[in-house]
Amino acid sequence: MNESNLLSPHATKAIEYLLAVSYLLLFIPFWRFVNGATVAQSFALSWFQVPENVHLHRGHSWARTFGGAVAVGLDDFAHKLIGPLDEIRFPAVGTALRQGQKAFTVVADGKPFDVVSPVDGNVVAVNEVVHAHPADAVRDPYGTGWLLKVEPRWLTANLKNLVSGDAARRFLDAAAEALSGRMSPELGVVLQDGGSPVHGIAREIDPEHWDEVVRHYLKGE
Amino acid sequence: MSETLERVTVSAFVREKVLLGMAPKVYAKSLFTRTNAIFAAILAIGLPTLAYRFWKGMGAVSNLSQTNPWGIWVAFDIVCGVALAAGGYTVAAAVYLFGQKQFRPVLRPAILTGFLGYLFVVVGLLVDLGQPWRLPYQFFLTPGTTAVMYEVGWCVFLYLMVLALEFLPAALEWLGMTKVRRFMSAISIGIIVLGVTLSTLHQSSLGAFFLMSPGKLHPLWYSPFLPIFFFVSSIAAGIGMVIFESSISHRAFQDQLDPEAHVDMDALQLGLAKGGAVVLFAYFFVRLQGLAASGRWDLLLTGWGAWYALEMLGFVLLPSLLFAFAVRTQSAKLARAAGVMTVLGVVLNRFNVSLIAFNWNVPDRYVPALGEIVISITIVTLGVLVFRWIVNRMPVLREHPDWRGAH
Amino acid sequence: MNLNRRNLIKIAGAAGAATIASRALSSATTRGAAKNAAGVLVDTTRCVGCRACEAACSEANALAAPEKPGDDSVFAGRRRTGPTAFTVVNRSAEKSPNGEERYAKTQCMHCVTPACASGCVVKALEKTALGPVVYHEDRCLGCRYCMIACPFGVPKYEYTKAAPLVRKCTFCAARQEKGLPPACTDACPSGALTFGKRADLLEEARTRIYQNPSKYVHEIYGEDEAGGTSWLYISDVSSASLTLPQDVVKKSYPEMADGALSAVPFIVTLWPPLLMGLYTFSKRRDDVAGHENSPKGAGHE
Repeated sequence: MNESNLLSPHATKAIEYLLAVSYLLLFIPFWRFVNGATVAQSFALSWFQVPENVHLHRGHSWARTFGGAVAVGLDDFAHKLIGPLDEIRFPAVGTALRQGQKAFTVVADGKPFDVVSPVDGNVVAVNEVVHAHPADAVRDPYGTGWLLKVEPRWLTANLKNLVSGDAARRFLDAAAEALSGRMSPELGVVLQDGGSPVHGIAREIDPEHWDEVVRHYLKGE
Repeated sequence: MSETLERVTVSAFVREKVLLGMAPKVYAKSLFTRTNAIFAAILAIGLPTLAYRFWKGMGAVSNLSQTNPWGIWVAFDIVCGVALAAGGYTVAAAVYLFGQKQFRPVLRPAILTGFLGYLFVVVGLLVDLGQPWRLPYQFFLTPGTTAVMYEVGWCVFLYLMVLALEFLPAALEWLGMTKVRRFMSAISIGIIVLGVTLSTLHQSSLGAFFLMSPGKLHPLWYSPFLPIFFFVSSIAAGIGMVIFESSISHRAFQDQLDPEAHVDMDALQLGLAKGGAVVLFAYFFVRLQGLAASGRWDLLLTGWGAWYALEMLGFVLLPSLLFAFAVRTQSAKLARAAGVMTVLGVVLNRFNVSLIAFNWNVPDRYVPALGEIVISITIVTLGVLVFRWIVNRMPVLREHPDWRGAH
Repeated sequence: MNLNRRNLIKIAGAAGAATIASRALSSATTRGAAKNAAGVLVDTTRCVGCRACEAACSEANALAAPEKPGDDSVFAGRRRTGPTAFTVVNRSAEKSPNGEERYAKTQCMHCVTPACASGCVVKALEKTALGPVVYHEDRCLGCRYCMIACPFGVPKYEYTKAAPLVRKCTFCAARQEKGLPPACTDACPSGALTFGKRADLLEEARTRIYQNPSKYVHEIYGEDEAGGTSWLYISDVSSASLTLPQDVVKKSYPEMADGALSAVPFIVTLWPPLLMGLYTFSKRRDDVAGHENSPKGAGHE
């Protein structure tokens, strides 16, 4: 082993001790840094809700199983993105739906948006209450805001293409993150408090082309 | 009559377990994918090269010389291979000994990666040995007990058995062999402890190989503490590999994942990242201590010093800080990037010690031959293919429904 | 490998030899190997570069004849030993103080505590009591660690053969067993090579330097290099100019790996109780906190 040609043995040992002590001193703040994950970061982005037993489709429709049937609706994110709905055009009872194909159409500010179905199956019921008052759906998008009831055909296979729980929350967080840069701080506060925007996030961000923004998300890219 | 029934049962077993439930013709057709075309191309070049190596001798395919007896087969397939397979013992220790049960979902993939990693390290060894059929001689004929390689040989051999035993439950569940499977649960802790002990030994011994080369290995990398460096960095390599491999598997093997399992892979990777941050931080200072002990700070001002600084700052300290930052900001993406950097850093270090900074002052420098590179890639490809075959059939990325939550 | 009596004795013998060898590791420099181990004193002030040693070596080992016999142009470049040339003579870059060319024969140094033998996983390389470090063709796996370990770069490999071997100078161990000197020392006409007991030759070297202090460089190359080698060199030019490696540590090489290997029993002994203690501690902490393995297992805390 090459002996040092610069340092005496005393100097070498002194440096070793110094290094060891410096390491200990640095380790304490490092450990604390690593363990104190900021809650603030994730706090800001939990603007959208996803209940535990709800499965989301990439196109922002959702499915919830109850017994043998499935309730279908539009998720919290899409509702707040589009804004208050003028009208919801339902498929007729008995219509066959395919996962990823158009299920129903929502209309906001005169513009229609097709929403795709999260599951394969036949429509057995539509929500007449929401049909009459479409703007109310946003208040409880996964509960009373359900839109269709479907008798599923390939439920287990369909569920493999949907996300739920933490993964669903991350899915919405990611979508929100993409938008958050373009939103006004006031809108952020409204969402944080669990409220919904007056005109929809899309219109806030891009008044000219807000319908393109909406379609981009409903396509599930 | 019963004979027909038996034949039907066997072929039904093969169809269910091996052919993924498909008829043979359908299964064969399903193999024609783009990815498989790439693998086939690699094997089409690699397997004949491998055959040629054994037919004409290693001189025909490699740039190994009298001055450079070890090339990338040793540096990459063996030395790096062992380091990158360290996830097996790292995650097993985390889950079973440190009680970090949140890492369970990556335990079996890590053990499988470890098992296959070590298996193909042995394949690499057989390719590199001049007379590979004599490999058992060290155990049964004339053991060179003073040799570091003797200790490594026994350790790797025993650890391969341990990894096989650790992975066996998955295979037993696949085959439905319940009684044996239950027995495995009973002895699992003993196997884990043995595995961690053996890993400590051979990971560090790979570093010990170079202790007898103070003149040949550049002073910035040579240290009497090489075994400690190799052991600590193997932990970091294991963590990095598990993060990296889990992010690929999650996408590549979507159909194997259990949607009911609610595995938050991001949270899991962030948990591993926390471990990675601390280990790399400590490793950085351990290496610094080695430098301090040698007293050769003057060498930092040389060209080799810059290379050393690149390895230390860019591939040890930087990933440590990135891991820490990723955990702090809960960014799984950053954690994955840091994981890749960590793996690259360990590979760089192993290459430096065994190849680049080795024989640093010799004019006749080694450059790998095309044949050596092809064979190394082929060995890795074979490993990936076996990994894929197993993951697509056995409960590795998902739990077997009859054995949920079992040890 | 069948466990018949012969193999058992071989294994027992190997174990015994290993014990002896490992004891030899610790005090190699002072003890030397056996007291009567052979050595060669190379006095390059007497070497005329005739290369009779090369010819004798190739004949005694049934190797190809040396290149360009009698042709001094062979000294133009740096020469090295190879799979078919166990010894080569190099010409020094420096001339002697009195203007003569100097030459040095290179071959295996047959170290007192050889790195190659201690590192060989199948004891294919073995230090014998007589002095030579011999190679057992029938054991070698071809891992080439000896080539990595040897600080003098001696072992050469037959990369082009189907069943390759390591090739190096044998110190004519077979001849020595019959009481004959090595072929090269026997053939040397100028008295540059003196074969004898290493201990005696060290004395002879010291004597020559003492008696001619202005003639010789005050260095016996091989006295302490690698913990001492059987081949000793004295000269009136620097050992560096004679192509003798200058980066060889003056310590026994096997001792360098000793620290790591001695740790093995301690790790094997201490790790299991440590790790089981960890397991017990974390299990107890989980039990106390009520965190059992959930029935679903994966993913839940």
